[in-house]
Amino acid sequence: MDYIPAMQTSRVISDNGLQATASGYRIDVRLPWYRSLPVSTVEVGEVCIDGQVIDPGKVTFELEGRSYPLADMENQVDKVWFVLDSAYLNVETTPHGGGEHDVSVTLNLYPPYIRGLKRVSRDRKNLQAR
Amino acid sequence: MKLGTTLYALTNEYLSRRYSFEDLLAQTAARGTGPGLEIVGFQSIRGFPVVTDEFAARFKELVARHELVPTSLAINADQEIRRGRVMSDDEMVAYHEPQIRAAAKLGFPVARYQYGAGPDVIRRLVPLAEKLNVKLGLEIHAPQHANHPDVIEYREMYAKVRSPYLGWIPDFSSTARTVPPSFLEFFCAKGVPESLIAMAMDIWHGEGDAYKRMMQYKEKARAGGFDDLQLNELSLIFPMFGKQEPRSWLELMPEVVHIHGKFFGFDAQGNEEAIDYAALLPLFRDGGFTGYMSSEWEGHMYSDADAFQMIENHQAMCRRILAMN
Repeated sequence: MDYIPAMQTSRVISDNGLQATASGYRIDVRLPWYRSLPVSTVEVGEVCIDGQVIDPGKVTFELEGRSYPLADMENQVDKVWFVLDSAYLNVETTPHGGGEHDVSVTLNLYPPYIRGLKRVSRDRKNLQAR
Repeated sequence: MKLGTTLYALTNEYLSRRYSFEDLLAQTAARGTGPGLEIVGFQSIRGFPVVTDEFAARFKELVARHELVPTSLAINADQEIRRGRVMSDDEMVAYHEPQIRAAAKLGFPVARYQYGAGPDVIRRLVPLAEKLNVKLGLEIHAPQHANHPDVIEYREMYAKVRSPYLGWIPDFSSTARTVPPSFLEFFCAKGVPESLIAMAMDIWHGEGDAYKRMMQYKEKARAGGFDDLQLNELSLIFPMFGKQEPRSWLELMPEVVHIHGKFFGFDAQGNEEAIDYAALLPLFRDGGFTGYMSSEWEGHMYSDADAFQMIENHQAMCRRILAMN
C-alpha cells in the first residue's frame, strides 16, 4: 500500500478550478494522495500560468479559511489536509484577460510513514477563469 | 475464511467525491462485497484519530443497518511529520495510542499497523491493546515478506512477548508470480519503451532482494541511455511486487489476524493476472485461518476501472477457488 507512483498526477488541479480574483487567481487543488496528510509534509512546487512561472513569494496556500506563506507550510505539523478537501493557491499576478488559461501546479509530498520518499505530482490543465 | 472489502480499494470513487463514506458502505452491502469492512482511519475520518461520539454512533448504526462486520482499522506510523526529524519511540507510542482507541471506539477487532512503528513501540502498546481488546496486526507487504529482516525483528519480539494481541496481516503483494501486465501496459501507453520494460522484467525475475534487483536495473537502464524519469517510475515494480513463495506465509499462520487480498486485474480466465490465488487461498484455509480477507484492489493507482466491479470479480474468483480445491 505504500508505494504510490507518480500516476495520479492529473489529480492536483480541480476541474473548473480557476477563479479570477482582485489580485490575480485562486486555484482549487486537491491532495494527490489516498489519505489525509499533515500540511508539514506538503510542499508547493512550481506554479505556472500561461507559461509564466510565478514567484513563490506571490503564492499562498489556503486551507480551511486560513492562509499560509509557502515557506511556512513545513512548520504546520498539527494542521491536517483532509483528503476530500480542496485547498487553494492564491496567486498574486496581473491577470492575463479572459478565455482559457494554461495552469500548471506541482505539489511535492513527503508521506510521513515512508521515510525518504518525495512524491512529485505535476498537473496541468487548460481552464476558463470563473 | 470470510470475505470483505477494504475502502482503500475504493479510493478513486471516494476521492472523486462520487461516493461519500456512507455511500461506500451502502454500495458494499448492496453488491454483496462485505460483510467484512476495513477502513483507513486517515482516509475516511475527518479529524482522525479523534473520533467523535456522534461519528462512532453513526458508524455503528450504518454497520448494523448494512449488516457489515468491522474487520480492521488501518492506522499509520507517521514517523516524519516534521520533515527531517524522526519521532522518538515515546512520541511514536503517543501517536499510536489514540489510533488504537479509535479502533476500539468504532468496534474494530484489529488495528493494522505499519513496520515503521518499530518492535519496541508495538511491544509497549500491548497492554493498551489487551485492555481495549484490539489486536495489533503488522501488515506485511512488498518489499517485505515473512523472512525479511524487518519482519524477523517483529517475529523475535512476538516470540518473547507471546501475546495473543500481536498478529500479522499478510498482503499478497509480497508473494506475486509476476508484475501485473495491466501495470506494464499503463507504462507502455505512457511511452515507456518496450525494451526498457523487458529489461526491468528480466531483472525482476532474477535473484536477490528487491532493493538489490532495483539497483541492478537502474544501473543497467542508465548505462543503456534510457530517460531518467521513465526508468525511475518503472523501478517501482521492484518494491511494489515481491516474488516470495506463497508457502513463506505458513510459519506465520498461527498469528494471522487478517489478510489483505491484494489484486490488480484479471486474465481472460478470470484469474488474477499476477498473483496465484489458487496457491494462496488453500494455504490459509487449510492452515486454519478463519478470519477475514479484505479485497484490496490497488489498480486504482493507474486505472479508473470500476472498483466495485473489480471487487465483485475478485470475490467471485476467491469463492470459486475455495470451493474447487
